[in-house]
Amino acid sequence: MRDGADRPWIALRAAVAAVLVFLLGPILITVAASFNGSARSTFPPEGFSLRWWSEALSARWWEPMAFSLKLAALTALLSTAIGTPLAFALVRRRFRGKMLVEALVAGPLVLPTLVTGIALLQFLHALGLGALVGFWGLLIGHVVICLPFSVRTVAVSLRAMPPQLEAAAASLGAPPRVVLRRVTLPVISGGVFAGAAFAFVHSFTDVNLSLFLASPGERPVTVAVLAFLEAGFAPTLAAVSVLSLVIPLVMVALLERVVPIGAFLYADPGRHR
Amino acid sequence: MAYLFSASVLIAEGTVPQDQPTLDNFRIILGSALYRGVVLRTFVVGFCVGLLVVVLAYPLAYFLVRTRSRWKGALIALSLAPLLGSAIVRSYGWHVILNQDGALNSLLLWAGLVEQPLRFLPSTPAIVIGLTHALLPYGVLSIMTALNAMDPALERAAMSLGASRARTFWRVTLPLTLPGVAAGFALAFAISIGAYATPAILGGPGTETMATMIRNFMLALLDWGLGSAMGVILLASALALLLIAALLGGPARRTVVAAP
Repeated sequence: MRDGADRPWIALRAAVAAVLVFLLGPILITVAASFNGSARSTFPPEGFSLRWWSEALSARWWEPMAFSLKLAALTALLSTAIGTPLAFALVRRRFRGKMLVEALVAGPLVLPTLVTGIALLQFLHALGLGALVGFWGLLIGHVVICLPFSVRTVAVSLRAMPPQLEAAAASLGAPPRVVLRRVTLPVISGGVFAGAAFAFVHSFTDVNLSLFLASPGERPVTVAVLAFLEAGFAPTLAAVSVLSLVIPLVMVALLERVVPIGAFLYADPGRHR
Repeated sequence: MAYLFSASVLIAEGTVPQDQPTLDNFRIILGSALYRGVVLRTFVVGFCVGLLVVVLAYPLAYFLVRTRSRWKGALIALSLAPLLGSAIVRSYGWHVILNQDGALNSLLLWAGLVEQPLRFLPSTPAIVIGLTHALLPYGVLSIMTALNAMDPALERAAMSLGASRARTFWRVTLPLTLPGVAAGFALAFAISIGAYATPAILGGPGTETMATMIRNFMLALLDWGLGSAMGVILLASALALLLIAALLGGPARRTVVAAP
């Protein structure tokens, strides 16, 4: 491939490098700013200091961070528990109203989360359940917006599974329960874990829904940051931001070593043909 | 499941202030120059973001799909990793760059291009930049999906018939992946008009968008009727955009429902 026609390829590389700098630069700058010695958002940083990190790790920020982690973990668990059987029903069974169920599952994903948030807020109040605003309201909302990931990834792995596998196990005398446990579930486990990981990350990073369903005492870290921002900017937020990026990053990186969840992000030709 | 019910409540709240069905809330929003300005600004921002996202994402997606580098996997991960951060993380970096003591002003002062630090924030262009940055990975995903779905033999055929790389790209690759580009554009447009964090961080009172306005109606002014009416307008616009994306998208449509 290394011939005279390589010039466009070199120009492409330059463009790619520029786009990558645009994409990653602000994140690296945030990391640098978190070690800033000055109390203003100056750049380049004036001196080096760890005080913003000690503040970011104090109870004031650790509480909403822990709240977010708990919320995201429960959301991932619940949406996997609801989403997996739902995906089975949607892929394997024919029933009336299937289109409606599909639309309801996919709905919150394609519609603005912000609108889901204000709708759910008013829905809870209309039912007289306004007291649920806070942890339970957030959990309901997050499951609604994260369910599509679980359903989608499990459905993708179910469709990709050769149907002969189950038939072979059954013809060798395995009862349906055993086929499900020993054949089907291990084969689709990649989809299940990928769905759970996406649900976790989506819940952990959500702003638009949490904004409306959080209560002053029960709020995830994203909402706490936004509330803090109204008072002004401080390098503490850079440290908190970095921390809230690193947590899902480490989690996904660890999971990726076990299950190739990245493969579910975009369509690879080998998987669809 | 609660969604459908809540959506109907939403529409009801948007149209029923006191048990009396009326379209007053919509009339107030569409009748006020201020609110019309907010809706218009949101659309201009969304359109610019959609356009910038696909223009910047295309070379990156093309490179990621076609490269034979052994770093391919790592580069893909690096390009998509920003999806793991909330919009707040991604917008905060731009605040560090664009604020009065920030990186850009330091650079301009150092280079002697300006005497006084310039004010970049709050401003609408800052919101556009922040959102473009936040939504770029979605564009990369849409276009990568389209490129992956394309038969590479078509490019080889064009080149074996004597077309240059550039000509092959403009006459074969780009037209074939245009649906993915359109889907990425509509997706970025639709997400950006509903985004709250970036306009809240990089914007100010003079640069309200529909999302920040809805938040003010719902949580500060406690006018749920107006907030819901604005929500319905936002919902309808996003639906229209996604419908266009679905119609144009073809194979790339999958991205819309696969990306976190």
